[in-house]
Amino acid sequence: MSLDQMLFGAYALPFMSRALVAMLALALVAGLIGVLVNLRGLEFISDGLTHAVFPGLAIGFVAGGEPGLVIGATVAAVIAAVVLTLVSRAGVASDSAIAIVLTGAFSIGVLVVSGGSDFAGQLETLLFGRLLTIDAETIPLLLTVCALALALAWGTRSRQLFRAFDPVGSEAAGVKPLATDLVLNVSIALVVVAASSTVGSLLVLAVLIVPGAVARLVTTSLLALFPIAAAFAALASWLGLSIGFGVSVGAGVDLPGGSTVVAVFVAGYALVLVGRLLVDRARGRAIRGAGAGAPQRSVADAGGVVA
Amino acid sequence: MTSPVLHLERAAFAYGATLVVQDVTIDVMPGEAVALIGPNGAGKSTVLKGILGLVPLTAGNMQRSASVASLPQSAELDPEFPITLRQVVMQGRYRSMGWLRMPGGRDRSAVASALEAVGLADRAGTRFGDLSGGQRQRGLLARALASEPGLLLLDEPFNGLDQSNRDALLQTVHDLKARGIAVLISTHDLDLARETCDTVLFLNRSQLACGPVAETLTLEIVQECFGDVGVEVDEHTLVVPDHEGRE
Repeated sequence: MSLDQMLFGAYALPFMSRALVAMLALALVAGLIGVLVNLRGLEFISDGLTHAVFPGLAIGFVAGGEPGLVIGATVAAVIAAVVLTLVSRAGVASDSAIAIVLTGAFSIGVLVVSGGSDFAGQLETLLFGRLLTIDAETIPLLLTVCALALALAWGTRSRQLFRAFDPVGSEAAGVKPLATDLVLNVSIALVVVAASSTVGSLLVLAVLIVPGAVARLVTTSLLALFPIAAAFAALASWLGLSIGFGVSVGAGVDLPGGSTVVAVFVAGYALVLVGRLLVDRARGRAIRGAGAGAPQRSVADAGGVVA
Repeated sequence: MTSPVLHLERAAFAYGATLVVQDVTIDVMPGEAVALIGPNGAGKSTVLKGILGLVPLTAGNMQRSASVASLPQSAELDPEFPITLRQVVMQGRYRSMGWLRMPGGRDRSAVASALEAVGLADRAGTRFGDLSGGQRQRGLLARALASEPGLLLLDEPFNGLDQSNRDALLQTVHDLKARGIAVLISTHDLDLARETCDTVLFLNRSQLACGPVAETLTLEIVQECFGDVGVEVDEHTLVVPDHEGRE
Protein backbone atom coordinates (compact mmCIF):
# COMPACT_ATOMS: atom_id res chain seq x y z
CA MET A 1 0.00 0.00 0.00
CA SER A 2 1.31 3.44 -0.91
CA LEU A 3 1.76 6.16 1.68
CA ASP A 4 -0.65 8.34 -0.25
CA GLN A 5 -3.31 5.65 -0.12
CA MET A 6 -2.77 5.16 3.61
CA LEU A 7 -2.86 8.85 4.53
CA PHE A 8 -5.55 10.05 2.09
CA GLY A 9 -7.05 7.31 -0.02
CA ALA A 10 -8.26 5.33 2.98
CA TYR A 11 -10.76 8.07 3.85
CA ALA A 12 -12.74 7.44 0.67
CA LEU A 13 -14.12 4.43 2.54
CA PRO A 14 -17.26 5.45 4.49
CA PHE A 15 -16.22 3.70 7.73
CA MET A 16 -12.84 5.43 7.64
CA SER A 17 -14.28 8.88 6.94
CA ARG A 18 -16.81 8.40 9.76
CA ALA A 19 -14.01 7.40 12.08
CA LEU A 20 -11.99 10.44 11.03
CA VAL A 21 -14.87 12.87 11.55
CA ALA A 22 -15.64 11.43 15.00
CA MET A 23 -12.01 11.29 16.00
CA LEU A 24 -11.21 14.84 14.79
CA ALA A 25 -14.19 16.31 16.62
CA LEU A 26 -13.23 14.47 19.79
CA ALA A 27 -9.53 15.29 19.53
CA LEU A 28 -10.07 19.00 18.92
CA VAL A 29 -12.50 19.37 21.81
CA ALA A 30 -10.52 17.13 24.15
CA GLY A 31 -7.33 18.95 23.24
CA LEU A 32 -8.79 22.35 24.11
CA ILE A 33 -10.46 21.15 27.30
CA GLY A 34 -7.31 19.21 28.13
CA VAL A 35 -5.35 22.47 28.33
CA LEU A 36 -7.72 23.63 31.05
CA VAL A 37 -7.44 20.24 32.78
CA ASN A 38 -3.66 20.54 32.69
CA LEU A 39 -3.60 24.09 34.05
CA ARG A 40 -6.15 23.28 36.74
CA GLY A 41 -4.28 20.08 37.67
CA LEU A 42 -7.47 18.05 37.27
CA GLU A 43 -5.93 14.93 35.69
CA PHE A 44 -7.01 12.69 38.54
CA ILE A 45 -10.57 13.98 38.71
CA SER A 46 -10.77 13.47 34.95
CA ASP A 47 -9.72 9.88 35.47
CA GLY A 48 -12.48 9.59 38.05
CA LEU A 49 -15.01 10.96 35.59
CA THR A 50 -14.03 8.50 32.86
CA HIS A 51 -14.96 5.71 35.25
CA ALA A 52 -17.98 7.39 36.79
CA VAL A 53 -19.60 7.81 33.39
CA PHE A 54 -19.23 4.08 32.78
CA PRO A 55 -22.51 2.88 34.39
CA GLY A 56 -24.41 5.38 32.24
CA LEU A 57 -22.71 4.00 29.16
CA ALA A 58 -23.57 0.47 30.20
CA ILE A 59 -27.22 1.23 30.98
CA GLY A 60 -27.63 3.23 27.78
CA PHE A 61 -26.00 0.50 25.72
CA VAL A 62 -28.02 -2.34 27.21
CA ALA A 63 -31.28 -0.37 26.94
CA GLY A 64 -30.91 1.34 23.57
CA GLY A 65 -27.97 0.07 21.57
CA GLU A 66 -25.47 2.57 20.22
CA PRO A 67 -27.73 5.64 19.96
CA GLY A 68 -28.94 4.88 23.48
CA LEU A 69 -25.34 4.72 24.56
CA VAL A 70 -24.74 8.40 23.79
CA ILE A 71 -27.95 9.58 25.44
CA GLY A 72 -27.58 7.35 28.51
CA ALA A 73 -23.99 8.33 28.90
CA THR A 74 -24.78 12.03 28.60
CA VAL A 75 -27.30 11.81 31.44
CA ALA A 76 -24.89 9.74 33.53
CA ALA A 77 -22.03 12.08 32.76
CA VAL A 78 -23.84 15.14 34.01
CA ILE A 79 -24.94 13.31 37.17
CA ALA A 80 -21.44 11.93 37.73
CA ALA A 81 -19.82 15.32 37.22
CA VAL A 82 -22.17 16.99 39.68
CA VAL A 83 -21.76 14.24 42.29
CA LEU A 84 -17.99 14.18 41.92
CA THR A 85 -17.73 17.97 42.16
CA LEU A 86 -19.92 18.09 45.27
CA VAL A 87 -18.25 15.11 46.96
CA SER A 88 -14.77 16.47 46.34
CA ARG A 89 -15.80 19.74 48.02
CA ALA A 90 -17.64 18.18 50.95
CA GLY A 91 -14.63 18.01 53.20
CA VAL A 92 -13.72 14.43 52.36
CA ALA A 93 -10.15 14.34 51.12
CA SER A 94 -10.57 14.94 47.41
CA ASP A 95 -8.52 12.00 46.22
CA SER A 96 -10.32 9.43 48.34
CA ALA A 97 -13.68 10.85 47.32
CA ILE A 98 -12.78 10.50 43.67
CA ALA A 99 -11.43 7.00 44.17
CA ILE A 100 -14.62 5.90 45.95
CA VAL A 101 -16.93 7.34 43.30
CA LEU A 102 -14.69 5.96 40.57
CA THR A 103 -14.60 2.34 41.68
CA GLY A 104 -18.21 2.33 42.85
CA ALA A 105 -19.52 3.60 39.54
CA PHE A 106 -17.29 1.31 37.57
CA SER A 107 -18.52 -1.79 39.38
CA ILE A 108 -22.15 -0.76 38.79
CA GLY A 109 -21.37 -0.47 35.09
CA VAL A 110 -19.82 -3.92 34.93
CA LEU A 111 -22.78 -5.40 36.83
CA VAL A 112 -25.21 -3.86 34.33
CA VAL A 113 -23.31 -5.16 31.32
CA SER A 114 -22.85 -8.61 32.82
CA GLY A 115 -26.66 -9.08 32.83
CA GLY A 116 -26.81 -8.99 29.02
CA SER A 117 -25.62 -11.48 26.44
CA ASP A 118 -22.08 -11.34 25.02
CA PHE A 119 -20.66 -9.85 28.22
CA ALA A 120 -17.04 -9.81 27.05
CA GLY A 121 -17.82 -8.27 23.68
CA GLN A 122 -19.98 -5.51 25.14
CA LEU A 123 -17.48 -4.72 27.86
CA GLU A 124 -14.68 -4.49 25.35
CA THR A 125 -16.71 -2.17 23.14
CA LEU A 126 -17.43 0.16 26.05
CA LEU A 127 -13.93 0.16 27.44
CA PHE A 128 -11.94 0.35 24.22
CA GLY A 129 -14.41 1.88 21.78
CA ARG A 130 -15.44 0.87 18.29
CA LEU A 131 -13.88 3.60 16.24
CA LEU A 132 -14.08 1.74 12.93
CA THR A 133 -17.68 0.60 13.25
CA ILE A 134 -19.47 3.82 14.26
CA ASP A 135 -23.00 4.03 12.78
CA ALA A 136 -23.79 6.96 10.54
CA GLU A 137 -26.64 7.91 12.91
CA THR A 138 -24.26 8.19 15.84
CA ILE A 139 -22.08 10.85 14.19
CA PRO A 140 -24.52 13.79 14.62
CA LEU A 141 -25.03 12.81 18.26
CA LEU A 142 -21.28 12.74 18.86
CA LEU A 143 -20.80 16.09 17.16
CA THR A 144 -23.58 17.58 19.30
CA VAL A 145 -22.01 16.29 22.51
CA CYS A 146 -18.59 17.60 21.44
CA ALA A 147 -20.04 21.00 20.55
CA LEU A 148 -21.79 21.20 23.92
CA ALA A 149 -18.61 20.32 25.80
CA LEU A 150 -16.64 22.88 23.80
CA ALA A 151 -19.23 25.62 24.34
CA LEU A 152 -19.19 25.04 28.11
CA ALA A 153 -15.41 25.04 28.46
CA TRP A 154 -14.67 27.78 25.93
CA GLY A 155 -17.42 30.06 27.21
CA THR A 156 -15.96 29.93 30.72
CA ARG A 157 -12.26 29.81 29.84
CA SER A 158 -11.37 33.17 31.42
CA ARG A 159 -12.93 32.02 34.68
CA GLN A 160 -11.22 28.63 34.44
CA LEU A 161 -7.83 30.21 33.78
CA PHE A 162 -8.24 32.80 36.53
CA ARG A 163 -9.23 30.08 39.00
CA ALA A 164 -6.37 27.86 37.85
CA PHE A 165 -3.82 30.63 38.38
CA ASP A 166 -5.15 32.11 41.60
CA PRO A 167 -8.01 30.24 43.35
CA VAL A 168 -8.32 32.69 46.25
CA GLY A 169 -7.84 35.84 44.20
CA SER A 170 -10.36 34.73 41.60
CA GLU A 171 -12.94 33.99 44.26
CA ALA A 172 -12.36 37.43 45.76
CA ALA A 173 -12.89 38.90 42.28
CA GLY A 174 -16.24 37.17 41.94
CA VAL A 175 -15.44 33.87 40.22
CA LYS A 176 -17.84 31.32 41.71
CA PRO A 177 -15.71 28.27 42.53
CA LEU A 178 -18.48 25.68 42.63
CA ALA A 179 -20.14 26.83 39.41
CA THR A 180 -16.78 27.07 37.65
CA ASP A 181 -15.77 23.56 38.71
CA LEU A 182 -19.18 22.15 37.79
CA VAL A 183 -19.03 23.57 34.28
CA LEU A 184 -15.54 22.22 33.64
CA ASN A 185 -16.31 18.79 35.10
CA VAL A 186 -19.51 18.50 33.08
CA SER A 187 -17.60 19.40 29.93
CA ILE A 188 -14.94 16.80 30.75
CA ALA A 189 -17.70 14.25 31.32
CA LEU A 190 -19.21 15.11 27.93
CA VAL A 191 -15.83 14.48 26.31
CA VAL A 192 -15.80 11.08 28.00
CA VAL A 193 -19.22 10.41 26.49
CA ALA A 194 -18.07 11.39 23.02
CA ALA A 195 -14.97 9.25 23.47
CA SER A 196 -16.87 6.20 24.63
CA SER A 197 -17.97 5.35 21.10
CA THR A 198 -14.61 6.14 19.56
CA VAL A 199 -11.57 5.30 21.65
CA GLY A 200 -13.53 3.93 24.59
CA SER A 201 -13.91 5.09 28.15
CA LEU A 202 -10.54 3.76 29.33
CA LEU A 203 -8.39 5.31 26.62
CA VAL A 204 -10.12 8.68 26.58
CA LEU A 205 -7.81 9.94 29.29
CA ALA A 206 -4.93 9.95 26.81
CA VAL A 207 -6.91 12.05 24.32
CA LEU A 208 -7.82 14.44 27.13
CA ILE A 209 -4.44 14.75 28.84
CA VAL A 210 -1.76 14.26 26.19
CA PRO A 211 -2.44 17.27 23.90
CA GLY A 212 -2.41 19.72 26.83
CA ALA A 213 0.79 18.18 28.21
CA VAL A 214 2.43 18.40 24.77
CA ALA A 215 1.44 22.05 24.45
CA ARG A 216 2.94 22.78 27.90
CA LEU A 217 6.22 21.28 26.68
CA VAL A 218 6.24 23.35 23.52
CA THR A 219 5.22 26.82 24.69
CA THR A 220 4.94 29.04 27.74
CA SER A 221 2.42 31.29 26.02
CA LEU A 222 -1.11 30.91 27.31
CA LEU A 223 -2.69 31.81 23.99
CA ALA A 224 -0.49 29.41 22.03
CA LEU A 225 -1.36 26.45 24.27
CA PHE A 226 -4.82 26.01 22.79
CA PRO A 227 -4.01 25.92 19.05
CA ILE A 228 -0.95 23.73 19.69
CA ALA A 229 -2.95 21.22 21.72
CA ALA A 230 -5.73 21.14 19.12
CA ALA A 231 -3.30 20.80 16.21
CA PHE A 232 -1.40 18.01 17.93
CA ALA A 233 -4.63 16.18 18.73
CA ALA A 234 -5.91 16.45 15.17
CA LEU A 235 -2.61 15.40 13.62
CA ALA A 236 -2.18 12.45 15.96
CA SER A 237 -5.76 11.31 15.32
CA TRP A 238 -5.29 11.38 11.57
CA LEU A 239 -1.92 9.64 11.73
CA GLY A 240 -3.23 7.05 14.18
CA LEU A 241 -6.19 6.17 11.98
CA SER A 242 -3.97 6.05 8.89
CA ILE A 243 -1.39 3.83 10.52
CA GLY A 244 -4.10 1.51 11.85
CA PHE A 245 -5.57 1.27 8.36
CA GLY A 246 -2.21 0.82 6.66
CA VAL A 247 -1.09 -1.95 8.99
CA SER A 248 -4.45 -3.73 9.04
CA VAL A 249 -5.05 -3.67 5.29
CA GLY A 250 -1.47 -3.58 4.04
CA ALA A 251 0.21 -5.99 6.44
CA GLY A 252 -2.82 -8.00 7.44
CA VAL A 253 -2.25 -7.40 11.15
CA ASP A 254 -5.60 -6.44 12.65
CA LEU A 255 -5.03 -3.35 14.82
CA PRO A 256 -7.92 -1.94 16.92
CA GLY A 257 -8.57 1.63 15.70
CA GLY A 258 -8.97 3.42 19.03
CA SER A 259 -5.93 1.87 20.65
CA THR A 260 -3.76 2.66 17.63
CA VAL A 261 -4.80 6.29 17.78
CA VAL A 262 -4.04 6.46 21.50
CA ALA A 263 -0.66 4.81 20.95
CA VAL A 264 0.17 7.54 18.41
CA PHE A 265 -0.86 10.20 20.94
CA VAL A 266 1.47 8.75 23.54
CA ALA A 267 4.30 8.24 21.03
CA GLY A 268 3.88 11.85 19.92
CA TYR A 269 4.16 12.98 23.52
CA ALA A 270 7.34 10.92 23.96
CA LEU A 271 8.84 12.50 20.82
CA VAL A 272 8.05 16.03 21.94
CA LEU A 273 9.42 15.25 25.40
CA VAL A 274 12.71 14.02 23.95
CA GLY A 275 12.84 17.08 21.69
CA ARG A 276 12.27 19.33 24.65
CA LEU A 277 15.03 17.63 26.65
CA LEU A 278 17.45 18.03 23.74
CA VAL A 279 16.56 21.71 23.31
CA ASP A 280 17.00 22.29 27.06
CA ARG A 281 20.36 20.57 27.00
CA ALA A 282 21.54 22.53 23.96
CA ARG A 283 20.42 25.78 25.56
CA GLY A 284 22.11 24.88 28.84
CA ARG A 285 25.33 24.20 26.95
CA ALA A 286 25.06 27.47 25.02
CA ILE A 287 24.53 29.40 28.22
CA ARG A 288 27.39 27.67 30.03
CA GLY A 289 29.53 28.35 26.97
CA ALA A 290 28.66 32.04 27.13
CA GLY A 291 29.46 32.03 30.83
CA ALA A 292 26.03 33.30 31.81
CA GLY A 293 24.30 31.97 34.90
CA ALA A 294 20.67 32.46 34.00
CA PRO A 295 18.44 29.74 35.43
CA GLN A 296 17.03 27.37 32.82
CA ARG A 297 13.55 26.04 32.73
CA SER A 298 13.57 22.28 32.83
CA VAL A 299 11.10 19.82 31.40
CA ALA A 300 9.69 19.13 34.84
CA ASP A 301 9.07 22.85 35.32
CA ALA A 302 7.13 23.00 32.10
CA GLY A 303 4.65 20.40 33.27
CA GLY A 304 6.39 17.67 31.35
CA VAL A 305 5.34 14.94 33.73
CA VAL A 306 1.87 13.64 33.06
CA ALA A 307 -0.01 12.46 36.12
CA MET B 1 -20.00 64.90 54.19
CA THR B 2 -18.49 61.92 52.39
CA SER B 3 -19.69 58.48 53.27
CA PRO B 4 -17.35 55.67 54.30
CA VAL B 5 -16.21 53.14 51.72
CA LEU B 6 -16.35 50.47 54.40
CA HIS B 7 -18.52 50.36 57.48
CA LEU B 8 -18.03 47.60 60.05
CA GLU B 9 -20.08 47.58 63.23
CA ARG B 10 -19.37 44.93 65.86
CA ALA B 11 -18.59 42.61 62.97
CA ALA B 12 -17.68 38.99 63.66
CA PHE B 13 -16.25 36.59 61.09
CA ALA B 14 -16.19 32.81 61.44
CA TYR B 15 -15.35 29.71 59.44
CA GLY B 16 -18.24 27.33 60.13
CA ALA B 17 -18.67 27.08 63.87
CA THR B 18 -15.18 28.43 64.64
CA LEU B 19 -15.41 32.08 65.57
CA VAL B 20 -12.19 33.72 64.47
CA VAL B 21 -12.61 37.37 65.18
CA GLN B 22 -15.32 39.59 66.66
CA ASP B 23 -16.33 43.08 67.66
CA VAL B 24 -14.65 44.88 64.79
CA THR B 25 -15.99 48.40 64.38
CA ILE B 26 -14.58 50.94 61.95
CA ASP B 27 -15.56 53.42 59.25
CA VAL B 28 -12.97 53.70 56.51
CA MET B 29 -13.20 56.93 54.54
CA PRO B 30 -12.04 57.53 50.95
CA GLY B 31 -8.32 58.21 50.83
CA GLU B 32 -7.79 56.94 54.37
CA ALA B 33 -5.04 54.44 55.17
CA VAL B 34 -5.75 52.06 58.02
CA ALA B 35 -3.23 49.71 59.62
CA LEU B 36 -4.65 46.47 60.95
CA ILE B 37 -2.23 45.45 63.68
CA GLY B 38 -1.99 42.28 65.70
CA PRO B 39 0.15 39.24 66.38
CA ASN B 40 0.04 36.04 64.33
CA GLY B 41 -3.32 34.34 64.63
CA ALA B 42 -5.01 37.56 65.72
CA GLY B 43 -7.46 37.28 62.84
CA LYS B 44 -6.04 40.01 60.58
CA SER B 45 -6.26 37.93 57.42
CA THR B 46 -9.72 36.73 58.41
CA VAL B 47 -10.97 40.30 58.66
CA LEU B 48 -9.57 41.03 55.20
CA LYS B 49 -11.15 37.88 53.79
CA GLY B 50 -14.40 38.76 55.52
CA ILE B 51 -14.40 42.17 53.85
CA LEU B 52 -13.84 40.42 50.50
CA GLY B 53 -16.77 38.11 51.23
CA LEU B 54 -14.61 34.98 51.44
CA VAL B 55 -15.32 34.40 55.17
CA PRO B 56 -18.92 34.79 56.32
CA LEU B 57 -20.03 37.62 58.56
CA THR B 58 -21.70 35.95 61.55
CA ALA B 59 -22.68 38.94 63.66
CA GLY B 60 -22.83 42.71 63.40
CA ASN B 61 -23.01 44.78 60.24
CA MET B 62 -20.86 45.30 57.20
CA GLN B 63 -21.46 47.75 54.38
CA ARG B 64 -19.16 48.19 51.41
CA SER B 65 -19.99 51.19 49.27
CA ALA B 66 -17.01 50.86 46.93
CA SER B 67 -15.47 48.01 44.98
CA VAL B 68 -12.85 46.15 46.99
CA ALA B 69 -9.61 44.73 45.61
CA SER B 70 -6.93 42.80 47.43
CA LEU B 71 -3.25 42.03 47.10
CA PRO B 72 -2.53 38.37 47.86
CA GLN B 73 0.83 36.95 48.86
CA SER B 74 2.49 36.25 45.52
CA ALA B 75 4.35 33.31 47.08
CA GLU B 76 1.15 31.28 46.89
CA LEU B 77 1.02 31.43 43.08
CA ASP B 78 2.56 28.84 40.76
CA PRO B 79 5.57 30.51 39.09
CA GLU B 80 5.40 27.99 36.22
CA PHE B 81 1.91 29.01 35.17
CA PRO B 82 2.09 30.07 31.51
CA ILE B 83 0.72 33.58 31.86
CA THR B 84 2.16 37.01 31.10
CA LEU B 85 2.14 39.95 33.47
CA ARG B 86 -0.35 41.71 31.19
CA GLN B 87 -2.72 38.72 31.36
CA VAL B 88 -2.45 38.68 35.17
CA VAL B 89 -3.28 42.38 35.38
CA MET B 90 -6.20 41.85 32.98
CA GLN B 91 -7.70 39.51 35.59
CA GLY B 92 -8.32 42.65 37.62
CA ARG B 93 -10.84 43.70 34.96
CA TYR B 94 -12.72 40.44 35.35
CA ARG B 95 -15.60 41.91 37.35
CA SER B 96 -16.32 44.69 34.91
CA MET B 97 -16.26 42.53 31.78
CA GLY B 98 -19.39 41.02 30.29
CA TRP B 99 -20.44 37.40 30.62
CA LEU B 100 -18.04 36.23 27.93
CA ARG B 101 -15.20 38.21 29.55
CA MET B 102 -13.92 39.67 26.31
CA PRO B 103 -11.59 42.56 27.14
CA GLY B 104 -12.43 45.86 25.44
CA GLY B 105 -10.49 49.06 24.86
CA ARG B 106 -11.34 50.43 28.30
CA ASP B 107 -10.04 47.23 29.92
CA ARG B 108 -6.80 47.45 27.96
CA SER B 109 -6.21 51.08 28.90
CA ALA B 110 -6.96 50.35 32.59
CA VAL B 111 -4.37 47.55 32.46
CA ALA B 112 -1.82 49.82 30.80
CA SER B 113 -2.24 52.59 33.35
CA ALA B 114 -2.12 50.13 36.28
CA LEU B 115 1.17 48.75 34.94
CA GLU B 116 2.40 52.32 34.56
CA ALA B 117 1.45 53.11 38.15
CA VAL B 118 3.61 50.30 39.55
CA GLY B 119 6.47 50.98 37.12
CA LEU B 120 6.21 47.73 35.19
CA ALA B 121 4.89 48.96 31.83
CA ASP B 122 7.99 47.66 30.07
CA ARG B 123 7.54 44.14 31.51
CA ALA B 124 3.95 43.61 30.37
CA GLY B 125 4.81 40.77 28.00
CA THR B 126 7.08 38.95 30.45
CA ARG B 127 5.95 35.63 31.88
CA PHE B 128 4.72 36.30 35.41
CA GLY B 129 6.93 33.57 36.89
CA ASP B 130 10.04 35.12 35.31
CA LEU B 131 9.63 38.33 37.29
CA SER B 132 11.47 38.85 40.57
CA GLY B 133 9.55 38.44 43.83
CA GLY B 134 9.18 42.15 44.29
CA GLN B 135 8.06 42.66 40.70
CA ARG B 136 5.45 39.92 41.08
CA GLN B 137 4.12 41.67 44.15
CA ARG B 138 3.93 44.93 42.18
CA GLY B 139 2.29 43.06 39.31
CA LEU B 140 -0.41 41.79 41.66
CA LEU B 141 -0.80 45.32 42.96
CA ALA B 142 -1.32 46.44 39.36
CA ARG B 143 -4.00 43.74 39.01
CA ALA B 144 -5.75 45.16 42.08
CA LEU B 145 -5.44 48.72 40.70
CA ALA B 146 -6.77 47.67 37.29
CA SER B 147 -10.10 46.90 38.94
CA GLU B 148 -10.28 50.61 39.89
CA PRO B 149 -11.14 49.86 43.52
CA GLY B 150 -12.44 52.26 46.14
CA LEU B 151 -10.81 50.17 48.84
CA LEU B 152 -7.60 48.20 48.55
CA LEU B 153 -6.71 45.46 51.04
CA LEU B 154 -3.04 44.65 51.52
CA ASP B 155 -2.24 41.52 53.55
CA GLU B 156 1.26 41.79 55.07
CA PRO B 157 2.45 43.41 51.84
CA PHE B 158 5.93 44.25 53.03
CA ASN B 159 6.98 40.75 54.05
CA GLY B 160 10.02 39.61 52.13
CA LEU B 161 10.39 42.79 50.10
CA ASP B 162 13.80 44.36 49.65
CA GLN B 163 14.30 48.05 50.41
CA SER B 164 13.70 49.34 46.87
CA ASN B 165 10.50 47.35 46.36
CA ARG B 166 9.40 48.37 49.83
CA ASP B 167 9.96 52.04 49.02
CA ALA B 168 8.11 51.64 45.72
CA LEU B 169 5.14 50.05 47.51
CA LEU B 170 5.11 52.82 50.13
CA GLN B 171 5.09 55.40 47.37
CA THR B 172 2.20 53.61 45.67
CA VAL B 173 0.22 53.64 48.93
CA HIS B 174 0.78 57.40 49.19
CA ASP B 175 -0.33 57.86 45.55
CA LEU B 176 -3.46 55.78 46.13
CA LYS B 177 -4.43 57.88 49.14
CA ALA B 178 -3.92 61.02 47.08
CA ARG B 179 -6.32 59.59 44.46
CA GLY B 180 -8.96 59.04 47.13
CA ILE B 181 -8.54 55.28 47.35
CA ALA B 182 -8.82 53.88 50.88
CA VAL B 183 -6.17 51.35 51.90
CA LEU B 184 -6.38 48.75 54.64
CA ILE B 185 -3.00 47.20 55.46
CA SER B 186 -2.52 44.24 57.76
CA THR B 187 0.91 44.34 59.34
CA HIS B 188 2.82 43.71 62.53
CA ASP B 189 5.29 46.44 61.63
CA LEU B 190 4.36 49.34 63.88
CA ASP B 191 6.95 51.61 62.36
CA LEU B 192 5.38 51.20 58.98
CA ALA B 193 1.92 51.78 60.38
CA ARG B 194 3.04 55.08 61.81
CA GLU B 195 4.76 56.11 58.60
CA THR B 196 1.95 55.39 56.14
CA CYS B 197 -1.34 55.18 57.98
CA ASP B 198 -3.82 57.64 59.39
CA THR B 199 -5.63 55.17 61.57
CA VAL B 200 -4.64 52.04 63.47
CA LEU B 201 -6.88 49.17 64.47
CA PHE B 202 -5.45 46.78 67.07
CA LEU B 203 -6.78 43.28 66.85
CA ASN B 204 -6.28 40.10 68.82
CA ARG B 205 -9.31 37.88 68.19
CA SER B 206 -11.39 40.95 68.92
CA GLN B 207 -10.83 44.65 68.45
CA LEU B 208 -8.72 46.19 71.22
CA ALA B 209 -8.52 49.77 70.00
CA CYS B 210 -9.12 51.87 66.93
CA GLY B 211 -8.32 55.49 66.28
CA PRO B 212 -5.90 58.05 64.84
CA VAL B 213 -2.29 56.91 64.84
CA ALA B 214 -1.05 59.75 67.05
CA GLU B 215 -3.46 58.95 69.87
CA THR B 216 -3.91 55.23 69.54
CA LEU B 217 -0.47 53.84 68.80
CA THR B 218 0.76 53.74 72.39
CA LEU B 219 3.04 51.43 74.31
CA GLU B 220 0.18 50.29 76.56
CA ILE B 221 -2.04 49.13 73.74
CA VAL B 222 0.86 47.51 71.92
CA GLN B 223 1.72 45.50 75.02
CA GLU B 224 -1.90 44.56 75.52
CA CYS B 225 -2.18 43.43 71.93
CA PHE B 226 1.06 41.51 71.65
CA GLY B 227 1.10 40.13 75.18
CA ASP B 228 4.45 39.13 76.62
CA VAL B 229 6.49 39.83 73.53
CA GLY B 230 9.13 42.40 74.36
CA VAL B 231 8.54 45.78 72.82
CA GLU B 232 11.36 48.22 72.27
CA VAL B 233 10.45 51.84 72.32
CA ASP B 234 12.84 54.61 71.56
CA GLU B 235 12.41 58.11 70.27
CA HIS B 236 12.08 57.05 66.66
CA THR B 237 10.60 53.64 66.40
CA LEU B 238 8.26 51.20 67.95
CA VAL B 239 9.27 47.71 66.96
CA VAL B 240 7.99 44.28 67.81
CA PRO B 241 11.26 42.41 67.67
CA ASP B 242 11.51 39.07 66.01
CA HIS B 243 7.86 38.31 66.34
CA GLU B 244 7.72 36.08 63.29
CA GLY B 245 11.34 35.21 63.03
CA ARG B 246 12.02 38.51 61.35
CA GLU B 247 11.76 42.10 62.31
